Amino acid sequence: MIVLYFDPGLGAMLVQALIAAAASVIVFSKNVKAKIQNFFSNKKRGKPHQDSININEDESKF
Amino acid sequence: MRMKASSNSFRNNHSSSFRDPSGYVFVDNNVLKRAVLPKYFRQYNALKASGFYKKVIKHSLLIPHNESKTTKDSIELIPEEIPFITYPYEWSFSQLKDAALHTLKLQNYAVSNGFILKDATAFNIAFHRGNPIFIDTLSFDFYSSDSPWKAFKMFVQHFLSPLVLAHYHGPTILKLLQTHIDGIPLSLTTSLLPRKSKLNPTILTNIHLLAKAERKYKNQTDKKTKEIKVKKERHLNHLDALYSFIQGLNVNQKTEWGNYYENIHYDDTALDFKKNQISEWISYLDLKTVVDIGGNDGTMVRSFSHDLDFAIVGDIDENAVDLNYQKIKEQKDANIIPVLLDILQPTPALGFDNKERFSIINRLNKFKPDLTLALALIHHISLGGNVPFLKIAEFFARFSNYLIIEFPNRNDDMVQLLLNQKRDFKNHFDFYSDENFERDFGVFFEIEKRVAIPKSNRILYQMKTI
Repeated sequence: MIVLYFDPGLGAMLVQALIAAAASVIVFSKNVKAKIQNFFSNKKRGKPHQDSININEDESKF
Repeated sequence: MRMKASSNSFRNNHSSSFRDPSGYVFVDNNVLKRAVLPKYFRQYNALKASGFYKKVIKHSLLIPHNESKTTKDSIELIPEEIPFITYPYEWSFSQLKDAALHTLKLQNYAVSNGFILKDATAFNIAFHRGNPIFIDTLSFDFYSSDSPWKAFKMFVQHFLSPLVLAHYHGPTILKLLQTHIDGIPLSLTTSLLPRKSKLNPTILTNIHLLAKAERKYKNQTDKKTKEIKVKKERHLNHLDALYSFIQGLNVNQKTEWGNYYENIHYDDTALDFKKNQISEWISYLDLKTVVDIGGNDGTMVRSFSHDLDFAIVGDIDENAVDLNYQKIKEQKDANIIPVLLDILQPTPALGFDNKERFSIINRLNKFKPDLTLALALIHHISLGGNVPFLKIAEFFARFSNYLIIEFPNRNDDMVQLLLNQKRDFKNHFDFYSDENFERDFGVFFEIEKRVAIPKSNRILYQMKTI
């Protein structure tokens, strides 16, 4: 690992560990909510596909 | 100087490239190149050998590059050329939002592939072919197991904070990025955010709590950040949660000029005439690059953009710039770039020695468009900004050889309004006439065409610099 050219902030690092733990709960509940919505919703009338943070490896913009 | 390199390496160094010791950008025979220094060889070779570079380029996450030269002292890369760079403080809300999402997407992909984004400045994103793209090829490092994202605070200061501030206070607040090129300080963000923002768990933790912790641990430099661990799964969940939050963010602001073409009582015949006349001149003169100053949402440029190679569309109104960006995305206008531009207060040069970020005038002069378009604008500069015709002519003459400019005469509604707003000083603006306009512009330009726009009080001119 190379030396950083800026201060990442100790406080920011410590808080990040906390937020990341909390975020896991949020993401988990989001996924559960989405699954429930999917279960009850009519697929044809379902929401248009929303862009996700994950890259689909089979999909290329080129 | 932070870089361990001989002073020689700095000779052609691009003046905005000195912060990161992994390499630098330089200009060689008008071609922008990137040098990778030995310090970064291990990372560079791993990024290349693992196929990571290939994959992020394929997914349009990183600007493509070719390796042009390899020596023991440096590896030279030539990145794909980006015609015109705009800075974060010249972006609309949606542009900054898309740039933030792009950064998170890239960080998520990097961590999933054993790498990490070592910095997260908004200047690492450019708009190219209508979309955001990451331009700093050397911003990646190895991801060591369960390490936190060291650029997290940087991400918050460059992206999350301004977006959340704009959500509460409107898009004008994004200009804070101009006075804080290292991102908006956390303490400033928290002081500007309303109390109710603490009710939102994402803002409470990622901004308010972060600011508090930063204040608390500011002077504890002896503690090692290495001891702090964030599990990979949690790290990715954090990115995902930030992504969803930013995706749902909007800016509450009514538009002033944003739907100009729907609001204004501009006769359709006059508008169509203007479009056709300009299109005819452009195609006759075979002009390929344009800067439209005061181009609103790009409606005018879009009517002849199929004949152009590239168009820069500037406007003073954040909503108009945003609308233009939305249209670029929807219609896949790869050759149009929007830019927030106040001609009475153009983006200055910023950063160290005023050379780190270029002024918009400098960038336009370098780009040297074939044509400058100034439609429904002169009265705002002349009457609104009190700038004499001669000074405006001198200013426009610097950008390009050709100028197409619209002059509304004194009977025009907007001119009337601007003049009446001068109240007691109205007589001071008696000079505002097409005769005086032509005389002063004639000092710098040869007036080649002069056409009255039907059903309006406006004249359209085609001029060439002398």
